[in-house]
Amino acid sequence: MSHAALRCPACGSSNVEDDALYSQAQMVCVDCGSVVSEGVLANDPVGGTDVSYRQTTAVTKKPCHNLLKGLQRVKAMCRILGVNSEIEELSQTYYNQAYQHQSFIKVSLQKKEVLAGCCVLVSCRVRNWPISMGTISCLLDADPTLLGAVYLEMVKILQIEAPIVGITDVMEAHCQEYKLSPSHVPEEFAEDPRDLSKHAVALVELAADTWIVTGRRPVPIMMAAIYLAWQSLNPSKQRLKFTLDKFCQLAKVKKQVRALKRITEIKEVLCKLGKEIPWLETTVTPENVMMQVKDILEFKYALLRKALRTHEDALLPECQTSCDNSQTEDNTDAACSEQCEQSTEKAEQTSDEDGNSRAESEQQDSGQECQDTEPNWGKRVLFAPPCVVHAKRRRVEQSRMKDVTGDEEISDSEIDSYIRTPQETRDFALTQKILSEREKS
Amino acid sequence: MDSSNDDALDIIVSNVVATFRTRCHLNLRTIALEGTNVIYKPEVGKVLMKLRKPKITASIWSSGKIICTGATSEDEAKQGARRLARCLQKLGFKVRFSAFKVVNVLAVCSMPFAIHLIDFTKNNRPIASYEPELHPAATYRIKNLKATIQVFSTGSITVTGPNVQNVATAVEQVYPLLFECQKPLCE
Repeated sequence: MSHAALRCPACGSSNVEDDALYSQAQMVCVDCGSVVSEGVLANDPVGGTDVSYRQTTAVTKKPCHNLLKGLQRVKAMCRILGVNSEIEELSQTYYNQAYQHQSFIKVSLQKKEVLAGCCVLVSCRVRNWPISMGTISCLLDADPTLLGAVYLEMVKILQIEAPIVGITDVMEAHCQEYKLSPSHVPEEFAEDPRDLSKHAVALVELAADTWIVTGRRPVPIMMAAIYLAWQSLNPSKQRLKFTLDKFCQLAKVKKQVRALKRITEIKEVLCKLGKEIPWLETTVTPENVMMQVKDILEFKYALLRKALRTHEDALLPECQTSCDNSQTEDNTDAACSEQCEQSTEKAEQTSDEDGNSRAESEQQDSGQECQDTEPNWGKRVLFAPPCVVHAKRRRVEQSRMKDVTGDEEISDSEIDSYIRTPQETRDFALTQKILSEREKS
Repeated sequence: MDSSNDDALDIIVSNVVATFRTRCHLNLRTIALEGTNVIYKPEVGKVLMKLRKPKITASIWSSGKIICTGATSEDEAKQGARRLARCLQKLGFKVRFSAFKVVNVLAVCSMPFAIHLIDFTKNNRPIASYEPELHPAATYRIKNLKATIQVFSTGSITVTGPNVQNVATAVEQVYPLLFECQKPLCE
């Protein structure tokens, strides 16, 4: 029997026949006599089959073991946080997508766990469920920096645009961690959680308005707000004596070091506002301000406006006296007139008497000649972040370097100042040798 | 360089990074022994040399590649680099100053108003990104200028780009976007 499809590799003829030499099956070319294939493989196609061995023996591909474990972890985290099923499904979808992307398929298991946390975080954000990165990093017991890096990379790869979570949204969820209800602590320290969280949210809003929140980590601020809210809801001597340390032990939360600084800052703001309370006889100090906090928070906006107006009124006469002795400058003109205009506008809005506004518009004309430290608006307003109030003074070296072209002559003596003399070199090498020997011995 | 508005904005260049090649192999031990103001780092394989006159720090590798940082203008960087090459020449190496290139320029600028970062991010969605828990500034990347701008809510911005001209253009481009998201100074 000859196989018409087979061709002899040696001469190319298609005249190939079955043969049996010494009972071994062979396929032989009739024209040139070369053996085309033999043995058990006699009937195999020459040159190998079209389908490779691996493909024919492959079973259906199972999903990666770690991927399944990761999905379980995502589910567990969602259950712990108590989110709804939509967020759970979404986070699982994101995890599937991200896991199989080339930048995450080969990373360490620790990073994959952090990735699971990030998926949960981003799904919560997309569905407007307030959650902070601090919570996720506590849940995973992971480094917040690592969490941040993985989060940014994941968002870039999956191209998700997650809305930004404000601190007031996260506040309520955070308050629940503090165990201060009557069932957990003795009567004199207990507080209704809803009251506490409402008060704390009001304090955080006040802090946000006065530049304490911007650019700072949210968790210490929230801790400070809850501590002050707890103290002010029942300002007994006992509560006021409680330090932050003891408070954290009582509420069974981990103390944040930076919260102390935030507490001082919020108290300062409360004092500034407390000064404006019309019915108060005594002076407000950081010690006795806690009694007034309830009133301050109730009349927050009125007190803020009053404080700002008092501050501006205090600034305007200073402005006038300084400008009587100073020269006019072009840039500061614009800046100062802008400031005076703003303050007169505000004054006009809030003041009731016309005489007052007339007097201030007069001051505006003379204020145009006022000298100001221009970009440092921190000195002009009542509330400003510390980086603006204590602004760094820039090196004013620009005029000196203006005539540098880069192609000037460099004198030999200048260069020599950068090179050691041979004697110095010898001394230096000797000293190094002595020092290294001393270290060894 | 001023912006196209009435008030002049001071763009202060605070750092210029430049590289150049000396086209010859450098013996780091010799430089460490015979040069003043040098720090030898054998574990990394480089020598740090600090110049006084343009205040520049240079990282010198034995292959002859040198990176200069700390200059406050492109011309100053060039002058510092040439001074450094001259210094190495005096030490005995056959130095030829070549392939000078300014690689990175960092500038800071202060707006006379505060900025509401959340609005700014919303208005410029894919180009601007802001994660308040990670970094207090919003990042705005201009692809065609290869410039990155970090916007802080106090009104200060830092700009990094490949040269001073790009940095100035970047500030001009971003100014109107910042202006429309400004926050009134108090509250």
